Amino acid sequence: MRSLDESREILYVIRTLDVLLGSGVGLEAAIFSIAQGGYGVISSDFSNVMENINKGRPLESELRSLISKSESDGYRRVINTMLNNVTQNTDIIETLRRQGERMEEERTNKVKDYIEELGGVPETLLSIGMIGPIILSILGIAPQLMEGAEEIFGTMDQGMIMSIVNGGLILTLAGMALTGLKAHTKDPGL
Amino acid sequence: MFRHEPLILLMFTIGVAMAMGGIPPMIERKRRRSIENDLPAMLEALSDSMGAGLGLQQAMMSEADRNQGTLGKLLHETLRESHASSFDSALSNFATKTRSPQVQRVMHLMSTAVEQDAPLQSILSSLSIDYERLNDLMNRREKDLLGRGILIMMFVAVGLPLLIAFIVALFAPAASGFQLDDFNTSFTLFFGIGSLIAMAVSGRMLGRMRDALWWAPVWMAASMTLYHVGVLFIGG
Repeated sequence: MRSLDESREILYVIRTLDVLLGSGVGLEAAIFSIAQGGYGVISSDFSNVMENINKGRPLESELRSLISKSESDGYRRVINTMLNNVTQNTDIIETLRRQGERMEEERTNKVKDYIEELGGVPETLLSIGMIGPIILSILGIAPQLMEGAEEIFGTMDQGMIMSIVNGGLILTLAGMALTGLKAHTKDPGL
Repeated sequence: MFRHEPLILLMFTIGVAMAMGGIPPMIERKRRRSIENDLPAMLEALSDSMGAGLGLQQAMMSEADRNQGTLGKLLHETLRESHASSFDSALSNFATKTRSPQVQRVMHLMSTAVEQDAPLQSILSSLSIDYERLNDLMNRREKDLLGRGILIMMFVAVGLPLLIAFIVALFAPAASGFQLDDFNTSFTLFFGIGSLIAMAVSGRMLGRMRDALWWAPVWMAASMTLYHVGVLFIGG
């Protein structure tokens, strides 16, 4: 969930940093501006960073701890760029612009992949949702259909058969939910 | 027909009540998306006007005159109010009124840029490109996945209960003395929960699961009813 939030917000954070740093604002002030809110989990991370800086901890160590906390690649790269700027005085604006372009391209590809990958979900859901219940429904009515043919098929206990049917239906529902989970885990985070 | 199925009746009652709660998010979403789809054009026009030498407030005035949609109407209101308050507070007021995170972000960035004396024309131009791409992606996702979401609902909540009802009623019609009360209760519940899962999946695919879940009880009740009525009608 955190990873999804990070990738959803990071592009906006890059654009804001670009505007702020490009107009001459310092990195700390830019972090403070984002920490004010509006960028979800990244705002709360930056707010913690600012709190700790105000307590006297160096920005460098705060950024390092943020790297280990981050879950998405894009966010980690942005913090790394900020850290490089603090330690080696690199050209942060140019690097952020390049990263922004690359992330935008990645996001477009992710959306395309998401649409393609979800193409088979209706059919898979229907297959799981259909095959299981069809077999289970026939199994459920079998004891009554076979009445009078106990010598050939043996006796079937209706109660036991119903337990199997119920178990099967629960498994089918779990299968459907797991198939649908793809829609959540692969979300491109728009 | 539903005397022995209090669960279906309960689901229908909950469903109708919750469907009332499902309508406002739909209307709000439509309004928000129309504003967001207009945003890139507005930013581009503002950038052009600023390039022609106009100030931000003047550029916004001419854009408010040009834009006939919800965005233009809100912009008009904002500029009218800005006579009585500062332009900066009018901008944030405008952002709040749109109730759109995209517009709120843009307005926040614009007021920061104004505050920092940043080159607004190029910022607005690049924001316009960014948001155009973002909206294209959002519209594409909506267009491509809406059909699939509907297909899932039709398959799981309508097709499947009818198919199973047909099979059960054909092989074990109640008219022939088959006792299937427990069996039917299990399958009725299964279709209800199956529809809930289908609704959640199709809502998640479109990126609005919470809004979609308002409609889940109606679909659950419909699916359970289709099975129940199907078995009764075909099986007698």
